[in-house]
Amino acid sequence: MDKYDIVIGLEVHVQLNTNSKIFCGCSTNFDSPPNTNICPVCCGYPGVLPVFNKRALELAVRICLALGARVNKKIYFERKNYFYPDLPKNYQISQYKMPLGEKGSLELSSGKKIGITRVHLEEDAGKLIHKENASLVDFNRTGTPLLEIVSEPDITSPEEAFDYLTYLKLTLQYIGASSCDMEKGFLRCDANISLKNKGATELGTKVELKNMNSFRGVRDALTYEAKRQRDALEKGEKISLETRAFDAAKMKTVLMRSKEEAHDYRYFPEPDLLDFSISQDILEQEAPYIKELPLARRKRIQKQYGISEKETDILISDIFLADFFEEACTMFAKPKEITNWLLGVFLEQVNLLSEKFNAVKMSPQNFSKVVRYFCENKLNNLAAKKVISLCIVTDEDIDAVIERESLAQVSAEAALSGFVQETINENKKAIKEYLEGKEQAIMFLVGMVMKKSKGKANPKVVREMLEKAIKLLKSNEAANS
Amino acid sequence: MDELLSLSAVEISKRIADGSLNKEKVYSFFKERIKKSNPSLNAFVQIYDAPPAASGISSLSGAPIAIKDNICIRGKKITCASKILSSHASVYDATVVEHLKQAGLQIIGTANMDEFAFGSSTENSCYGPSRNPWDTTRVPGGSSGGSAAAVAARLVPLALGSDTGGSIRQPASLCGVVGMKPTYGRVSRYGLVAFGSSLDQIGPITTNFTDCAHLLNIICGPDSNDSTAAASGTPDFTEYLRDDIKGLTIGIPAEYYGEGLNSEVASAVKKVIEYFKEKGAKVADISLPHTEYAIATYYIIGSCEASSNLQRFDGVRYGLRAACSSLSELYMRSRQEGFGDEAKRRIFLGTYSLSSGYYDAYYLRALRARQLIKQDFDKAFNAVDVILTPTSPTVAFKIGERNMDPLSMYLSDIYTISSNLAGVPAVSFPCGSSSAGLPIGAQLIAKEFDEATLIRLGFCFQCGTDYHKRIPKIV
Repeated sequence: MDKYDIVIGLEVHVQLNTNSKIFCGCSTNFDSPPNTNICPVCCGYPGVLPVFNKRALELAVRICLALGARVNKKIYFERKNYFYPDLPKNYQISQYKMPLGEKGSLELSSGKKIGITRVHLEEDAGKLIHKENASLVDFNRTGTPLLEIVSEPDITSPEEAFDYLTYLKLTLQYIGASSCDMEKGFLRCDANISLKNKGATELGTKVELKNMNSFRGVRDALTYEAKRQRDALEKGEKISLETRAFDAAKMKTVLMRSKEEAHDYRYFPEPDLLDFSISQDILEQEAPYIKELPLARRKRIQKQYGISEKETDILISDIFLADFFEEACTMFAKPKEITNWLLGVFLEQVNLLSEKFNAVKMSPQNFSKVVRYFCENKLNNLAAKKVISLCIVTDEDIDAVIERESLAQVSAEAALSGFVQETINENKKAIKEYLEGKEQAIMFLVGMVMKKSKGKANPKVVREMLEKAIKLLKSNEAANS
Repeated sequence: MDELLSLSAVEISKRIADGSLNKEKVYSFFKERIKKSNPSLNAFVQIYDAPPAASGISSLSGAPIAIKDNICIRGKKITCASKILSSHASVYDATVVEHLKQAGLQIIGTANMDEFAFGSSTENSCYGPSRNPWDTTRVPGGSSGGSAAAVAARLVPLALGSDTGGSIRQPASLCGVVGMKPTYGRVSRYGLVAFGSSLDQIGPITTNFTDCAHLLNIICGPDSNDSTAAASGTPDFTEYLRDDIKGLTIGIPAEYYGEGLNSEVASAVKKVIEYFKEKGAKVADISLPHTEYAIATYYIIGSCEASSNLQRFDGVRYGLRAACSSLSELYMRSRQEGFGDEAKRRIFLGTYSLSSGYYDAYYLRALRARQLIKQDFDKAFNAVDVILTPTSPTVAFKIGERNMDPLSMYLSDIYTISSNLAGVPAVSFPCGSSSAGLPIGAQLIAKEFDEATLIRLGFCFQCGTDYHKRIPKIV
């Protein structure tokens, strides 16, 4: 891309975490069977009227505050008119001339700030399910509150777009406004991309990209499209103003519609809803939710706990994990040990759970106790793993579990000397090898003792005992010979 | 039972309550009367064998009522007199219907109307035109023509209509009954199939102001299902049923008495002015200078909103679905077959006015003109309490006379449209007869949420006149 600058702007739609829809009382539950969370209002029956869900407004205001956007004092809704079977009224209640928020920004890990042009509220459409001879409509999603967040064309590479989405998602998760799960469609992203001559101020013709289903998909689509545009420009072709769809299987973009086919949405103010004043009360009510945003937390955690950048990135990648980590550290101030166990055994166990973090019951207190017991030699590695796997969805009392499963590590030499002596007696060959200088042989012997102790022995103690016993054996043999 | 015809709905209800009349017998009396007369008047679309369950008690409980066929009643067909909806049954009750049921009224059927309330004659109905009971070769006005004709002919003592640009008041005038368009926001629109959402109001059509006040009491009030229904408190309108208008100042706007006003109508309305003067009201000449822009403003705003509101009738979920082999054919054929000419005309007009390139010149300018019209009223009400005008420039016209010329039809609403644009309440009441024996209506317009003053003046007028007691002879 030496000759060209890439110019990217992103339009992100996120579903807000409300219990009910934006203009009626229906549940926003994602998993319900088709057409069960519906009513005359969200299905656009004759005579119905929308009533605005204030909770959606509160969450939207919270997002504006997190993005440093100016919240307009007065907002109103408009109708965006177009025919489509997943849109029961054949207009979408949205915002156009007076969006909720304007002029914000999002900081990336590089320190660069990407401008946010506007933030506006609207209702989601339903879902079409295409069968062989029919298309079916599921209206469950119809009327779910959506927030559209439009960035300035400040993004200069597909990687930066990826980073923007990552931090946007984290920010919204941290403030509890949206779960942003892209697989479930809670976050959707369209992109505008154009190329311009390096350093030029005049922008090139932009192409809109749709149909990306993951952050990686966005990055791949942008990478493909940047190359396609560069190749075209190199050949002296013109880029046309058009919308292209990303085909993830073929890893390319294909023409969806040209400018001539663009809709005229005939926006006009929604007469069924009144203008809304955004009171100082709402701003004050939502401000406390904007505590420490992901990037700030990343910087602080890394500094405060002295852990690596890579580990920090994983810790902050989910607010649950970051909170869990810091909570655990207050109970047991060994952040490196906590990090190792959290990112290792704990995450391994979480990944086995279908509901992931949502299913975790284990408290940070109990988790830190396991790590502490390990560090204090009360639990060996295996036993600690076992305790975590047993307690992750139960949060039982750790001591009770250790007792019940007899997992306490045995470090008392008196209790282990029998096993050690037996092992010495039974493994003359290994001892010989060890004495001949084969260091690994001792590990085999330790393993044998561990086995006899049913995994409970403290391997460090066992090793010391073995070394001592072999030494004694050797000096006895020398004395005898 | 024929004495029922001269009783007000309040009196009927009172007699049901004291046991001198039987609720079921009242219902079947009116039902039989409707069945006998409907073939000639075509005022009803649906006549219910038995009323939907309604248990409450009120000053109107037991009184039969007709509902314009664009207001939803659960389990009953809601047709809007359109082919596109003729098979659709509503799955919920409109808020006003809930109120009626809670007040124990007996809903007897649904009234004919212009398709989706587009019209001033009830000729634009897929069920054929309703007829004026005073002369069945004439229209009853519209779009609530079925409701007004039914009440005038005493097929039912009460009806609900809807009024977007005069659709309650103009047919009330042409049929000789009382029809009120309340303040925008006084009555919930939830369950009223929308035409022009910023203009529509449901209102009572009755033979007299006593029934009007009682019915308004029942249907008005805030509604959690309608954000535009005012949260403000509601007075007891029946307290204003007293023969005393001393101290009120009535404004007479010159713009409403000019060219195009039939002389018989003009002289009947002038007599109303004299009547009120004698009763102690003051009269002042006023001006509503932007009146001439009202019709153009209304047809742009109303059609813009209608074009969007009617998009939901697409053949996908309910109503008429035409045979088709593709999605665009489904949309086009269903709408082509389902909508009548006037509905199509409004959809074209609205879609055009909202299109990019035309939006500023039409829709935005209409919004600005609307502001000016509203300011006219604000200014006028600084000087007067109420405004008196004719309701319609003419008496009832012949069926077929205007429906080939949409512009002359649109002029039928020249005196009624402004109050919808300004959101203020207005009422039409009978005040005279033409030489041919056709009713003449006068209109009173008050400031926002001051229906009480309309009721006070109307009641006072009826205390000294008998126009509201005249009943047409019907077949």
